[in-house]
Amino acid sequence: MKKIKIKPQKLFNVAITYLIILAVCFIFLFPILWLVLASFSKTGSIYSFDGFFPTEFSLDSFIRLFTDTDLYNYPRWFLNTLFIALMSSLIGTTLTILTAYVMSRFRFKSRKTMMKMTLILGMFPSFMTMTAVYLMMTQFNLINQQWGLILIYSAGAPMGYLTQKGFFDTIPSSIDEAARIDGASNFIIFIKITLPLAAPMIVYTLLSSFVWPWSDFILPQLLLKNKDLYTVAVGLMSLDDTEFSRFAAGSVFIAVPIVIFYFALSKFLISGLSAGAVKQ
Amino acid sequence: MANLSLKHIYKVYPNGTKAVNDFNMQIDDKEFIVFVGPSGCGKSTMLRMIAGLEEITAGELRIGDIVVNDMEPKDRDIAMVFQNYALYPHMNIYENIAFGLKMRKLADVKKDKTGKIVTDKNGEPVQVMRHLTKAELDEKVYGAAEILGITDYLRKKPKEMSGGQRQRVALGRAIVREPKVMLLDEPLSNLDAKLRTQMRSEIVKLHNKLQTTFIYVTHDQVEAMTMGTRIVVMKDGYVQQIDTPKNLYQMPANKFVAGFIGTPQMNFFEGTLKKTGEEVEVKFNGSDSVVKIPYGMLVKVMPQYLDGKTNVYIGLRADDVTIDPDEVNGSGTTIKVKISHTEELGTETLVYGDIDMSRDSFGESPTQIILKAAGFKNFSSGDVVDAALKMENVHLFDAQTEESILPRIPKYNYLDCAVKDGALTFAGVKIKLPDAIKCADGEYELLLPTDAIAVGGDVAAEVLSCEQTDGKTLARLNIGGNCMFALIGGEPGQKVGLSLDLKKITLRSDGKDIISPMPLINSVVGTFALDRVKKQIEEGGKLKTKKVSEYSFVMGGRKFKAPLDVAQKMFAALSGRKVFNTAFHYEWSPYDMAISDDGIEGEVTEVLDYGAEQFAKVDAAGSTLYIKTTGPVSGKVHVSPDMSAVSVVEKDRNIRIV
Repeated sequence: MKKIKIKPQKLFNVAITYLIILAVCFIFLFPILWLVLASFSKTGSIYSFDGFFPTEFSLDSFIRLFTDTDLYNYPRWFLNTLFIALMSSLIGTTLTILTAYVMSRFRFKSRKTMMKMTLILGMFPSFMTMTAVYLMMTQFNLINQQWGLILIYSAGAPMGYLTQKGFFDTIPSSIDEAARIDGASNFIIFIKITLPLAAPMIVYTLLSSFVWPWSDFILPQLLLKNKDLYTVAVGLMSLDDTEFSRFAAGSVFIAVPIVIFYFALSKFLISGLSAGAVKQ
Repeated sequence: MANLSLKHIYKVYPNGTKAVNDFNMQIDDKEFIVFVGPSGCGKSTMLRMIAGLEEITAGELRIGDIVVNDMEPKDRDIAMVFQNYALYPHMNIYENIAFGLKMRKLADVKKDKTGKIVTDKNGEPVQVMRHLTKAELDEKVYGAAEILGITDYLRKKPKEMSGGQRQRVALGRAIVREPKVMLLDEPLSNLDAKLRTQMRSEIVKLHNKLQTTFIYVTHDQVEAMTMGTRIVVMKDGYVQQIDTPKNLYQMPANKFVAGFIGTPQMNFFEGTLKKTGEEVEVKFNGSDSVVKIPYGMLVKVMPQYLDGKTNVYIGLRADDVTIDPDEVNGSGTTIKVKISHTEELGTETLVYGDIDMSRDSFGESPTQIILKAAGFKNFSSGDVVDAALKMENVHLFDAQTEESILPRIPKYNYLDCAVKDGALTFAGVKIKLPDAIKCADGEYELLLPTDAIAVGGDVAAEVLSCEQTDGKTLARLNIGGNCMFALIGGEPGQKVGLSLDLKKITLRSDGKDIISPMPLINSVVGTFALDRVKKQIEEGGKLKTKKVSEYSFVMGGRKFKAPLDVAQKMFAALSGRKVFNTAFHYEWSPYDMAISDDGIEGEVTEVLDYGAEQFAKVDAAGSTLYIKTTGPVSGKVHVSPDMSAVSVVEKDRNIRIV
């Protein structure tokens, strides 16, 4: 066997690369690590920590999160959030995919204007509209209603249709045309040809439109006054100062559905599904 | 299984780009038509318009007898094969082929579970629309797969297949529906050379087997020549020539077609033709060689090109030039060629040379000549050899218009004539001139159109030969020792009596037209208008007053109600309100306008009497109109056109709409 010689220059380059990767990882992972450790601390208060990290560990916070529900009903908040996020994700994805498909495949008056408008409007942060949204929701009697939030999230989702439109643009129009000649209507083409090809994009859209309502704080805080309707983010915020480990445990547990959701759908997230359709 | 009729089809994109201009063609059932031309010539656009994927700006497209301009692609009963195959990637081959069948329903009689036909109360079988059953689908899909030899791949996905196999699947998807017309858009251009040749013959075989109309688009002239029964050569959106491969090769209509069809490209030289007695001297610019050919070969050439001054393009294919010593020695038509380089192809050698001794033909040269020599030949650069030209295969083109000056159907017969005492004498024929043709006594050149000669009259002639070209019969006649052409039929040697349509003749003196033919198109400038008219309409047994749209042509301050189909075509051509702000030429033949009590006001300036027919020359609505009359007319009159016989041309862009 030949001995592999490593040049010092190359070794140096690799070392530098790994150093940078480690540094970046540390910056990213340290807060998470800290939070996870805090969630396992025995004492509730942050002031009992020895320096940065807790001294004693136990599963107490997690157990209390689900058993001690008189004052802080975490399971309830969790289900509330799940409901809002799932509904918003489903409705929002439907709207986004439809918007993107229409913008990609159909030519109509003021299409360009609408595309530019959404691009510009999308640049404004969503909380800028807070006052207006609050007033409107009062008018429609949607304060303290989960459907009010779902409405806002799903209606806002199609604003970010550009990624999806870009994807539809890459599906060759000759496939649509072939289907049209084969006798398919626009709706059939969308259902039977475009959607199966767009599966990775639909999964991506489902995930991304799930994450926003799942982790949003501002809108639920603004619109949900009833403690039983709280989402996790609002609920955790309402925790007492002494309940820090419970706060940490709640924050860690909130990641669970996203992880499950991601792994369940990740097999669809492969690219190259459209290979073989047309000669590139 | 259908014929197609394409009439005055235009495609103008919203940004003003004209992709297709005035496309006219009749396609018969079972033909294999090839659209060929360089990229951007509009061939694919034309195909997509037939498919219904692209809107037709103006014109009329019929498949079978049905106008399909506004019909959805799926209802046109066509199938299309795309250049990039366009298979459905998530379906396997079986599903790909079956997709079109699954989309359709067919009419059938209703049957109950036991297979008995269900009848209604009158005992008639109940009609239902149903999808194909699994067994029927299987039969059709396997049938198509069998034809194309892809039965083994039916469960595979498109990405597991090679380019050739994918294109076969695309063909299968098209043929399985048994369409009336198969449209193929450059289906082979993504395949490698060997596979392309193989698929080419397979498609031809498929055409023979299916017995249906094929329309095939390609930019490859070899594909066009080998596959098509007729070929449409296009350039810049205009049709250059529609003809059989043989005719395209032997009788190209213009220099573009001549250069596009055939490899190596046809040699073009600028030169002049000079008629001296019964011979024509052909001079090549840049060469000292002069070639003499008998006039008999060039009888169809208009005399203005034979003066020895007018520049023409002389086209000769590489096959029609030889340097084989045996042929050169016996040939009277030779030219000196300075050889620059050769390309050895095995069976033959392409020899590049120049007829101008001061040039070499390594670069572009207007005097370059490419010729074929048999086998391997060695020449050194600079060798000068004699090359024999097969002048019987020469092609001649106008230097300006690049149109062929060896037309298959000559437009005019050119004759010398004399006018004396109101009688016209030419070629031993004497005809009394009608009152409409007034001209001073003297000698003139007579231009007698070939379509102005008809059988049935007292001009004696003998038919020399007869040929069928472009669906017309062209006869070569001997009238008083002169050779003339006419669009009539007859047997060689037959004696016929002819009549001449004198309103079509031209008398020329010193290059000036003394007598011009009467225009056969009357053109009036006008606009298009919409009125909302209150009308009483019977609806559900009650008389109701409703506002109805009425469209009309506005000409010379008068309104004429437009026929509905014409109005629809105008709306199709110019979208929105644009149609009301555009000026049009409305055109009628002299036979479709009449002098009546009501219509555009005008004044008769002259009555032209051609003996058999009389025409009134009327100034009306800013134009001069020629109108057929029977009785005597004069002074102020009204002109009423036949609205159903109108042609409409958009004035500014000169697009024919109706």
